[in-house]
Parts: sequence; C-alpha cells; structure tokens
Amino acid sequence: MERSIISRRDFLKATAITGVGAAVAVGAYEGLKKHKNKTGPSKGRTGTVRTCCRACIANCGVIATVKNGRVVKVQGDPEYPMTRGALCAKGLAGVQALYNPNRNKYPMKRAGARGEGKWMRISWDEALDTVAKKLMETRAKYGAETCFCSTGGGGNPEFWSISRFCNTFDTPNWFEPGCAQCYLPRTLANALMYGGADISIADSNCLEIYFPEVNPVKAYVLWGTDPSQSCPAGGGRAMVELRAKGVKTVVIDPRLTPDAAKADVWLPVRPGTDVALMLAWIKYIIDHKSYDREFVMKWTNLPFLVNTETKMFLRPQDIGAKGDPETTFVVWDKQSNSPKAMAYPWDNNLEPELEGTFPVNGVPCKTGFQMLKERVEPYTLEKAAKICWLDVASIEKALKLYIETQPSAMSLGVATDQTRLSVQAGMAAPTIEMLMGHVEKPGANLQRFKSSGAAPILTYIVNPAKKLLSEKQLNKRLGMLDHKGLLQWWAAHPPTVLQAILTGKPYKPRVWIDRSGNKFAVLGNSSAWLPAIDQMDMIVHMYMYPTSFSAYADILLPAKEWLETDMIVESINKVFVRQAVTHLWETMDETLFWSKLAKRCADMGHENCKKAFDPKVMGDDMVYWDTMEELLDKRVKPALHMSWEELKQKSPVEFCSFEEWDQHYVYKRDDPKTGKPQGFDTPSKKLEIYLESLITLGRTGKPYTTYPLPPASQDYDPLPYYVEPGESPVEGEIGKQFPLVMTNGRLPIFHHGTLRNIPWLREIYPAPEIWINPVSAKKYGVSHGDWVWVESARGKTQARAHLTEGIGPGVVYMERYWNPETLNTPTHGWREMNVNVLSKNDPPFNDVVGTYTLRGYQVRVFKADGPPKGVWLKPEQFKPWLPEQSDPTPEVKV
Amino acid sequence: MSLGLYWNRVLTMGPNGRFPKVEMYFLPVMCQECSNPPCVQVCPTGASQQMPDGIVLIDKAKCIGCELCVKACPYGSRTLNPETKVVEKCTTCVQLRESGSDPACVINCPGRCRFFGDTSDPNSTVSVAIKKAGAENVHSLPDSGNHPSVKYILHPKNGVWRKP
Repeated sequence: MERSIISRRDFLKATAITGVGAAVAVGAYEGLKKHKNKTGPSKGRTGTVRTCCRACIANCGVIATVKNGRVVKVQGDPEYPMTRGALCAKGLAGVQALYNPNRNKYPMKRAGARGEGKWMRISWDEALDTVAKKLMETRAKYGAETCFCSTGGGGNPEFWSISRFCNTFDTPNWFEPGCAQCYLPRTLANALMYGGADISIADSNCLEIYFPEVNPVKAYVLWGTDPSQSCPAGGGRAMVELRAKGVKTVVIDPRLTPDAAKADVWLPVRPGTDVALMLAWIKYIIDHKSYDREFVMKWTNLPFLVNTETKMFLRPQDIGAKGDPETTFVVWDKQSNSPKAMAYPWDNNLEPELEGTFPVNGVPCKTGFQMLKERVEPYTLEKAAKICWLDVASIEKALKLYIETQPSAMSLGVATDQTRLSVQAGMAAPTIEMLMGHVEKPGANLQRFKSSGAAPILTYIVNPAKKLLSEKQLNKRLGMLDHKGLLQWWAAHPPTVLQAILTGKPYKPRVWIDRSGNKFAVLGNSSAWLPAIDQMDMIVHMYMYPTSFSAYADILLPAKEWLETDMIVESINKVFVRQAVTHLWETMDETLFWSKLAKRCADMGHENCKKAFDPKVMGDDMVYWDTMEELLDKRVKPALHMSWEELKQKSPVEFCSFEEWDQHYVYKRDDPKTGKPQGFDTPSKKLEIYLESLITLGRTGKPYTTYPLPPASQDYDPLPYYVEPGESPVEGEIGKQFPLVMTNGRLPIFHHGTLRNIPWLREIYPAPEIWINPVSAKKYGVSHGDWVWVESARGKTQARAHLTEGIGPGVVYMERYWNPETLNTPTHGWREMNVNVLSKNDPPFNDVVGTYTLRGYQVRVFKADGPPKGVWLKPEQFKPWLPEQSDPTPEVKV
Repeated sequence: MSLGLYWNRVLTMGPNGRFPKVEMYFLPVMCQECSNPPCVQVCPTGASQQMPDGIVLIDKAKCIGCELCVKACPYGSRTLNPETKVVEKCTTCVQLRESGSDPACVINCPGRCRFFGDTSDPNSTVSVAIKKAGAENVHSLPDSGNHPSVKYILHPKNGVWRKP
C-alpha cells in the first residue's frame, strides 16, 4: 500500500499553530511526494529500548517501551547510577513531547509577510540550498561576520555544533541566553583556579553526592541551587538520600525551595548580593583561623608575593633568581627575612610567610593571602547581614555548621550567574572550599574523576574546531574584547549583537540562524529584540515545535525530539547511549544539520568550509560527518574499542571499576615526567585563589584565544569584590518607583522555556505565579490568586499572585513563561506572562564575561482586572495538544 | 488519563510560620485504600469493590457515574471523568503489579519517598520503612472509622504534621 507519509490532518495541525492560510496549506499538501509505507502498525518493533533523556541538560537513564513502532511509555532506568531508576515529570513527558500534534514536521518557508504566520512546506534540499545561498551572498556582500547563530541550553543535543559551524563559516558570532548568564561564570573561574570538575550539581558535577553509601560528607551548603527542582531525579534525589543519612544542610536562596524547606539553616539572601555574603564567609574563616593552613600554604598560590603596583605575582627574575616563571614564585622567607624564589612544589629549606606586606625592590609586596584578607576586611557578619537582608545569628549558625561539621562541601548554582557579579561569585565560592581544604578529598566536590574520553568536550562530543576561525574574524567578535571571559565558550555577547543590529556599528548583522526554543522567553529584556527582527535579511529557526521566535522566521526547520536522537552519555564509570527509539516525519538531528549546511557552503565555494571536510587540515578536530553514526563511531571506537552499533547493544558499558573511577588526591600523584607531584591543572600547578590569570586574560585573551588580542579597556580584578546590583532597592532612585527585588528560578516540571505545550505539565502550572510576601501584598493591594501586573523600567507583564511566607517582604519571584496557545495572535505568545519582558539587558554588565541581570532588578506589582486575553488556564483547554501517535518514518536523506 | 483528573495530587503543606522561620512539606493524597471503605459501601451497583488484597478498584463497566462514592470519600480522591462518565481514582497500577512491578509513582519518584507493599507482612518494604521511622513519626489522614491504609512518615525536623 502506498500512502502519504502524513495524513492531511497531521499537516494542517502542524501548520495551524502558526496560522497557515488554508489555501497555502492545501496547496503544499497537494504537492507532497508519495512514500512507500515501510512501517505499518503491525510491522514496527515492540519491546523496550534503553536510552537517555534530554528534556533538560541532564541525561537521566530511561527505559522506553515501544509497541508496533510507537513509543507508549518511558520510565527511569534503575541501572543509571545518578538516578537509580528515578525519572522526573519532564522526562515522563517525553511521549507527549514526541507526539505533540504541533511538532515542526517538515522544513517550511514563509508564504506571507513576516509574522503573518503563513507557511509552505519545502524539501530539506530546498531549505539547505536557500539558507546556504543566503549565507554565501551575505558573506560576499557584507562579510561572514554579519551571519550569526544562536542556541540555548534547553536540552539541545550538541551544544558545540553551533560554535563549530560558525568557526567553519568564519563568523565569530554565536551566542546563547545562557553562557554569561548560565554556567560560564562558574566554568571560567573554576577552570582558571583549579582545572577539574566544578561545584555545580545541575551541570552533572559534584558526583560523589550520588553515592551516600561511601560519601563521608556530614554537612552540605547549597548556594543558589535547588537540585530538587533543577534536577529532581539526579541531584534532587541524591540530596534526599544525603539528608536521610543525617547530612546537615544550609540553603542560601531567596525563596523557600523544597531544599530550603528541608535545610537546617535557610538564608534567604537578597537577590544579587550573594558575593557580599561570600566575602563575609571568607573573612570569618580567616579571622577564626578555620582554614586548612597546611593545605593553603602548600597547595594554593596564597603565600606568593604580589607586586601591589602591577597586581602581578613576583617572578624569580624580579629578585635576580632563576626558575621556571610558570611554576616558580617568590615568597617572603621568615628565617632570612628576605624574598626567596620557591620552585614547585615546595622548598623545605624556606619558611614562607602566609600573611604580610614586605618591601621588595622598594615596592610594597603582599602575599596573595594578605591581598585576600584585606579585600574581605570590611565584610563583617553585621555588614553582610545588612547588605543581604539576613540576620547575623543565622549567618553564623550556617558558617559554624559548614566549618565545624567536617567533612563538609559546598555547591554553587546558577543564581549568581544571573547577576552583575557572576564571575566574582564563581571565584568566591571555590575560594571558600579551597581555604577549607575541600579539594580532592573523599566527599569534596572539587575532583578529577576518571573519564572514558568518549565525550571529551565538557561532556559533549563535537569539537568546536576553534582553529578554523581566522584572526581577522576573531577580532570582530561582538562584545568580546571587553568581556574576554566569553572566549572560554568562544561566544559573542548578546547585548552587543543586538546593538550592532540596531545601530549598524561596528557592522550590521543580517542573517540569524537559531537552533533553540523561544528566544523571546529567555533573552533578557526580550522586547528590545523586536526592532532587531525587522533589520534581519533572513531568520532561520530550527526546533522541535514552533515558538514565539518562529513567528518572525523566514524558514522553519524540524528538529528531533530526544526520543529520536543518538548521543554518547557518560555517567560515573559507565557509558550509556541516547538512541533513537523512533523517527517521525522529516525531523533532523541538529548535530547533522550544521554538517549538511557546511557541506552546501563548501560546495558553493567557501574555502574554510571545504577545509572542515579535509582530514589533513582537521586532524584531531575531526572532519564533518555525513551521518550521526559516522560521528559517534569517531568518538566511541578509540575510547571503548567498539562501534556505536555495538555500544547501543551493550549499553551501559563499564569503562573502569567504580573504585578506579572514584580517584582522590590526584594532585599528590607523582608525575613520571617531572618526578614531582602532578598538582592541579593550572599554570602554577597550585590552586590559584589570587587569580592573576584573570588579569592576563583581560590583557591578552590567554589561555583561550587562538590569536593575540588587544587588551580590555579595564584590567579584571584578580580577587572577588562586591558592588550593589545595577538596580538596587537601597541605592539610587529606582527603588522609589519600583520597590520590589525580582528573582527567578526553576520549577521542577519545565526546563528553561521548554514544555509549556505539554498538556499534563501545563495543567499543573497553567500560568506563572508571582511569589509575594503577605506583608508586601497587603501594601500593594494584592490578594492570593489575584491577577496582577508586574512592571519594571523596561515593560510590564502579568502573573497570578501567590502569597507566601516562603519569600521575604522586599522580594518577589517569577519563573519564565510563554503561551503557545497565543502564538497566532499579535502577542505571538511572549508578551502576556513573561518575566523576561521585565529583566535587564543593559549595563552594568559583569566585567569579565558581560553578564546582564536576570535576578536582582527592581519591579512593582499591582492588581490587574483579569488574566491576559486568550491564555489557557483550564485543564480541558490543553486537549488540542494531547499526543497524536504517528508511525515511524525513514531518516531524511539529503 | 483525561485532563483535569488527578489520581495522585501532591499538596504543598505550608509554608507555615512567619518568614523566615517557616516549615513546609509535601503531601501526596491518592486513594487511601481504606480497610473499611465508605465508597464501596455507598456504591449502588457494586462497581466499587475491595479486592482480596485490600485494594479498592472500580469496575468501569458497572459504574453508572452517580458520584455517591465521590461524595462519600473523605479525601477527595475520586473524580467523575467528564468524558467517560465513570468515576476514576488511583488503581495502585494494578496492571503493573500483576507483572511484579511497583506502581509507576514508586518507580519514578525522584525523592524516593514512596513505598508500596503489604503492611501485614513485617518484611515488606512498607513495614520495614514504617518500623524504621518510629511510631511517633508515622501519620495517617483523619480517620472517621474508614481506616485509611496509607501511612505518612514525617519527622519533626521536616515539619509538623497537619491535617490537609
């Protein structure tokens, strides 16, 4: 039997969401190619498939049940070591996401005016040719830098494939709303200070928490992280088990999260002020001599002398001594009362001072420790309590729990990444852990575990191939020169990209390819991007389903849902797979899409794109792939000595024993090359708490740049510091008009801007709540359940008031939201109830990475007449989004 | 499952107290599988039945949608499905248990806080969990002679037991 690969109804539903004119849809439908039906209901496979979720950035193990080729159920995989069989609501929603009737099913091109919502189906060949042609034309006319790409952390399968394509096309510009606002501040600080795993639970680190049986930890600080909501089945579950075992916890979070409710001490810090509290913790630890003195002396760079004029460490040459300038520093020797060069790792003939100011060559020099001590000196508990809206006794109780209950550990979450002091928080939290000596001990979070090497790029497999980006083009990266921390992720700065589009300075970006969810739901001050849309010559949107951003696109491309994708998933000492359980319509894995697009550009004569297919040029950076299997084999074979196909059959594969994986004290191991201890992955091999390399980064771009770069307009500070948020309730005038401090944070049923179209999730949380303390609610005339307006200096939006004692009187909380049900209205679903209409995307930015402010800005709240027009609030309204099961289709061949 | 039906609601208990001295916990309210179930007693057709293992189930073929049981249930655990016009409630995943599996909520629960088993067997996972918690930390929803069989473990450290 021959039949169309979709039913007419499927197609109409696919396009109705963006308001297709019936004539256009029917016209396109008539032109459908007939395909042989290879997978009738009776012929599809039946059974279970072991795979891994990707509804968020975790990769929880899943067992999918398939009946006649259709996925009918998912549940947790008991063998997955980080979840032990648990699976959260986002993962369980996988079937509804996969078979959502509004999936993007085929490539489509705009058939009406931009934003009008008329679409026509096209082939993948036509889509790729159209996009490649536009890219090539724009490059020839205006330069490759005027084409840019964007992505987002909403469960995308291969984060680095966007960066790789941009390097290949020789454009320096890609960005994501996360990056400087999510995780980069912590990865950057951690990489420069230490070089091993960071202390983020939600980014699949802090791996010892998953083994309460052997983890000796007795107290745990969750700072700006709520694993119960950001990764319920993984980190959330692990924290439950640790608490059940008797581990004491401190939670530092403005709102009463489930973790905060279970904490021994809850510190509801004022959003945006965390660094003041961190500096007070450091001062308290120093003042009470609670730090691990032996460890700080021998394994951190704090005893080394800093020239107070240059802020750089003295090197042996500065005192006429010899030694490797990377690993030999100058200490003040107590015995001789003189500066002495000390080679790595330690010199027992010297007695270095840890504290003090000493004249060297007539210049006052201070130890790194002294510099840190002076920096934190003003931050008494009283001062921190005043800044952070906390009480002294609670801060001290938390500190004592952390200090006196050993071993203890600390995690830092995304909260501080969304503030002006993102990098400073990313430095201060590990500083606390390092002072305490919580490094590579059992129970510590700073660890270097053994890895299979199958997913070597921060758990991903695609190498960004930085070398393909030319020097000339690297220098054109928007917003990078002042915010050189962006170099670690090789990304541009979204507000600078926006300004370039609007002003044409230093040049005007013209073509935008986005592979992510709803940019209007997740970009700070999203309304500011609307005028930019009109300036674009072409916008391409690739995603699993249409979002608000799709309304402004010229080409829509169908991306695979996680149940359709293949990827390597390493978890603890095992390698699992995410494997395609089915394939629907004409969806494509983005990891493949970028490769196909690069191939088109190469065929059209792009020299750099041609290089990306040349094994001689690419070497370890790998040539582009024609199929996913080709790519996966390139990673699996050298690491596990088997093919991807074999790994799929055998998953999970144990690459070493748990004991071998759970290695400690790596820094103490002998390095056979030097005969000395291995040390840490920093230039000095010590923990670099005084972060001189941040100064170097700002001046040169090292260690991340591929070419020399001009210096940033200001040196970065090598130590964490505190300043008030750009909008503050206690400084300046803004607090008078907008008295409440806004924060945001995760719900356990959504990830970033995703899953608002899943009926079983939406009915639980149909509209965003704004948490408001009853005291402030009374003041502003708001009752529980009221519809309210929330307004900032940038705009206003709506939410439902949730009166709760779980938030302080001066603070409100609201999570990101958009409404797929109003995509086809003038709001395009992003204006009604979207906290990012309120958030800030203008200076002051974080100096190092350019973070704008998503938490800790000022708003006001007042009563509204009712809900926004057209939004769905009742469970039965979500019925049109219930799954429509479809038979599998063959993979797209282009 | 039809939209708007919840076999397994989770109530947020609290926050109680005044900011920042508050406590809060979560209370799943599914069918309490009463040993003396009022829903079975009021059912005019015999659709609501107590199985030999104590679990209460609804025979949808016999249910006439009169909702007497919905009114009789002290916990609001039953709902009329407006589409099928029969009453529904948690079945403790009887179809999974027949093949030896735990109910889906137990399998997938991220907090690992749910246990299912036979309270009359001292070695069952539920009996062991109840014993380990200590009698003073084991609670039930209010009992007016219906004797709910669902037990809740709540330690004072995590909150003060309150009636929902």
